[in-house]
Amino acid sequence: MTMTLRIIIDVFIAIGAIFALAGTIGIIKMPDTFCRMQASTCITTMGVLGVCIGALLYSIFELHSPATAVKVVVIAALIFTTNPVGAHALAKGAYQNGIRPEKRMVVDELRRDFDE
Amino acid sequence: MQKTTFSGVATTFIVSYAFWILLTWSFAAQELIAGAVVSLGVSLFSSRFFIHDHTFWLLNPIRLLKGLYYSLVTFIIELVKANIDMAKRCFGGCKNVNPGIVKIPVELDSDYAQNILANSITLTPGTMTMEITEEEGQIYYYIHWIDVQAPGGKVAGDMIKGNLEKGIRRIWK
Repeated sequence: MTMTLRIIIDVFIAIGAIFALAGTIGIIKMPDTFCRMQASTCITTMGVLGVCIGALLYSIFELHSPATAVKVVVIAALIFTTNPVGAHALAKGAYQNGIRPEKRMVVDELRRDFDE
Repeated sequence: MQKTTFSGVATTFIVSYAFWILLTWSFAAQELIAGAVVSLGVSLFSSRFFIHDHTFWLLNPIRLLKGLYYSLVTFIIELVKANIDMAKRCFGGCKNVNPGIVKIPVELDSDYAQNILANSITLTPGTMTMEITEEEGQIYYYIHWIDVQAPGGKVAGDMIKGNLEKGIRRIWK
């Protein structure tokens, strides 16, 4: 029983770690600023989700501590609600300060409507 | 900015007090009273920034359940699909990208609903909201899309939003 539970917890944490690795590779190798920001959302969504589900199961079934479980849920909820606000502000600020991709975008309707 | 209203203060108080109880997770009388005083102070000063219209709208159990269903089922399914797609691109050497910014129409009226849709789009890897504008009563989002498959308009909008907009419209009819 405990062994199965342990394996389930490890699988969730491994899923989170794999997606965090994918996001990190994306941050280093993507061609421009906005694509890098897109890759980083992999870390803040599936990375956090996998690790938090693992931590939640661990704190309920191994530690038997509801306070820790509630704190894990609050951490996940706070990351999920505050991250898009920051990402949106960063992207908009970068665009308005004239950062443009080196490789041309396929379509750029924001420039068509607001610039020049 | 709105004026401070009684219903606004009450809603902010309920939310911040719930957060206090979640974070401390102790039910001693001392902690509960201290939390009530702090939440009341916070809600008196900050309710006018948070509450704009329909104060008790979301404190209805059916809507809360619909909101929970949206965030735990509809949104998570879209999130996992987009994440697997993004992880494939990253492990494939990041060559398979086709970025662009498209303009899509959105059929939601409430401020909160638009906010939730914009945040959901930003959270799914591969799409990111850059700007929201209103032209002649129609709301438009400018979306940075990592793999542009259609020029801006309704087709691209349906591909980006997927089931998200339907799920939100079920909460805010």
